[in-house]
Amino acid sequence: MKALLRIAVASALNRRGTLALVVLSIALATALLLGLERLRTDIRAGFAQSVSGTDLVVGARTSPVQLMLYAVFRVGGATNNVSMDSIRAVEAHRAVAWVVPLSLGDSHRGRPVLGTTTAYFERFMYGDRQPLAFAAGRPFAGTLDGLYEAVIGAEIAQALGYAPGARITLTHGGGDTLAAEHADKPFTVVGVLARTGTPVDRTVHVSLEALEAIHLDWAGGAPIPGVRIPAEAARKFDLAPQQVTAALVGLKNRVAVFNVQRFVAEYEAEALLAVLPAVALDELWQVVGPAEQSLLAISVLVAVVSLASLVAVVLAGLNERRRELAVLRAVGAGPRHVLLLLAAEGALVTLAGALLGAAVAAALVLGAGPLLQREFGITLSAAAPTVAQWGLFGAVVAAGMLASLVPGWRAYRLSLADGLSPRT
Amino acid sequence: MPMISRRLMLAAALGAPVLSQAQNPTGVPAMKPPLPATPAAAPGAPRTIQWEELVPADWDPFKDFKDLNFQLLDDGDPRAAALLKRMRAVWDAAPTNPKLVGQVVRIPGFVVPLEDTNDGLKEFLLVPYFGACIHSPPPPANQIIHVLPKTPAKGFKSMDTVWISGRLTTPRTDSYMGVSGYRIEADAVTRYEEKRR
Repeated sequence: MKALLRIAVASALNRRGTLALVVLSIALATALLLGLERLRTDIRAGFAQSVSGTDLVVGARTSPVQLMLYAVFRVGGATNNVSMDSIRAVEAHRAVAWVVPLSLGDSHRGRPVLGTTTAYFERFMYGDRQPLAFAAGRPFAGTLDGLYEAVIGAEIAQALGYAPGARITLTHGGGDTLAAEHADKPFTVVGVLARTGTPVDRTVHVSLEALEAIHLDWAGGAPIPGVRIPAEAARKFDLAPQQVTAALVGLKNRVAVFNVQRFVAEYEAEALLAVLPAVALDELWQVVGPAEQSLLAISVLVAVVSLASLVAVVLAGLNERRRELAVLRAVGAGPRHVLLLLAAEGALVTLAGALLGAAVAAALVLGAGPLLQREFGITLSAAAPTVAQWGLFGAVVAAGMLASLVPGWRAYRLSLADGLSPRT
Repeated sequence: MPMISRRLMLAAALGAPVLSQAQNPTGVPAMKPPLPATPAAAPGAPRTIQWEELVPADWDPFKDFKDLNFQLLDDGDPRAAALLKRMRAVWDAAPTNPKLVGQVVRIPGFVVPLEDTNDGLKEFLLVPYFGACIHSPPPPANQIIHVLPKTPAKGFKSMDTVWISGRLTTPRTDSYMGVSGYRIEADAVTRYEEKRR
C-alpha cells in the first residue's frame, strides 16, 4: 500500500502542470464553500449578538426589519424621526422600566454618530446580557459643561488611533470625503468602549444636546451664510432635543411586551412602530434565507464542476499512461492495484485542493475581517471551523474520492494486452 | 390589524349569541395547535394541559358588562371604542389560575423570542395562537407564558410551534398591573409535531 502511494505521488508529480490547475480549481471551490459558510454563520451570530435585554425598539412607522437595521445595526437610513413627546409618552407607560432615545444621521469618517443619553451606557446590552464596558475613560457627562464630549467604539479607536483627549469633528450626514463638516464645534474623546463585536464598535456616541448644538446654524438644511454660532455661544440656546430617530425600551415585566407594542402602534399623536428585536431578526433571516440558499447552491455547483474537471483530466491522462499501467501490470500489479493507484492519485489531488482551499478561506476571512468590522461592525472569527464547515470540507474530499473511482474503474477494465500493444 | 367589525368583536368577547356558546370563554381563536388525545400520564410525568385551563374557572370577564346591550351599538359609535378599551383593561388584568400554579405541566404553543443568543433561545414567550405579535389584539395576561429554558433551546425561531414542560409559577417580582401571567423554567423545549391522521 505504501509503495502504491509512493507511485501515486510520483506519478502525480510527473504531471504536475495539469494537476496543479485541477488542485487550484478544487481549492477555489472549497474556499468559496467554506468562506460562504463562515460569513453566513458569523453574520447571523453578529446580528443576534448586537442587542440584548431590550424588549422593544420604537421608531417611526416603517418595516420592522428596516427599523432594526438602522436603529441597531446602523445600516440604511431612517424614514422619519419621532417626536420626543411620543418617546416620553412611551416612557410614562406603567409597564415601561426605561427608555433610551437614539438619534442618528451624522457621521465621523464614515462611522455613524449616535446621539443618546447617559442611560445608554447603563441600559444597552449585547451578546448574552453583557453591559458595555470602558477600555479607557468614562461616559460623556451629559451636561452643558461636557457638551462636546464623545465616547467612541473600539474599532474607531484602533483604526483611527484615537485615545481619550483626542479632538474629532463630526460630519453632517454620511460619507467619508467631500462632506460638510461641523468643524466649528469639535468634540473631545472622553471614553473608549471595550470591544463588543457589534456595531457599537464603530459608533461615535455623543449626547442628544450636542447633536442639537452642532445643528443650530443648520436650520435651513445647510449652514446659513453670515450666521455663525460659536461652540461656546451654543450653550446659551435651548438644546432640549425635539425629536429622535428611535428608542430602546425595557419593560418591568416581559410578559407585558404585547401590550406596550400595541400601545405604541395605536398611539394617536404619531404613527409609531414597536418591534421585538428577536422577532424582527427572524423576519430578516426569512428574507435573506433564500438568497443564502442560492449562493450555497451555486458554490456546491462550482465544487461539482471542479471535481468533474478532476475526473476529466485523469481520464484524459489514462490514454497516455496505458504503457505505464501495462508495465506495472507486467511486473505483477493486479487490476485492483491499478484501481487503487488511480483512486489514490485522485484522492491526493482532492485533499491537496481542499486543504489549500481551507487555507485560502482562512486568509480571506483574516483579510476581509477588518473591512466587515469597519462597515458593519460584524466580527468574523478565523478560529475553529464550525460543524457545518467540517461537513462541507468532508463532503468535498469524499466527493473527490468517489469521483476518482471513475478513472480507476476504467483502468481496471483495461487488459494487460491492450496496454502492451497500443495501436498507436 | 384586520378590519374586524367592532360589533362582532364585542359580541365575540362578551360571549354573545352571535357566536355559538361553544366558543371557549377566553375568546382565544381556535387556530392554536390541536391537542392530541392525552394519554394517561405516568406518575411524576408532567400533565398535559390546555390553554383554557390557565384561566380560572370562576373568572368572569363579562361581570362588568352584563347590563350592556351592545347590539344597539354601531361600529362607528365612539362608545364602542371606549367599551373595547375597557374590555382590554379587563383582559390585561386577567388573573392566573391558582390551581395550576406550582404544578409540573406540558403545553404546546407558539414561540415569540425574547433573548436569542449563539447558544439558542434563553428566554421566550409562549402564546396560544400564531400572530400574537401584531395582527390581533394581544392575548390576555393569563394566555402568555414567559418561558426560561433551563438549557438554551437551539434551532427555534419566531412562531415555531413547540411543546414545553416544567413547573408553572407566577413571578413574585410582580410590578405590572397586579398580575403578570405565568412563568415556566422549562425542563424541555421540543418541536411540536402534528400526528399524521
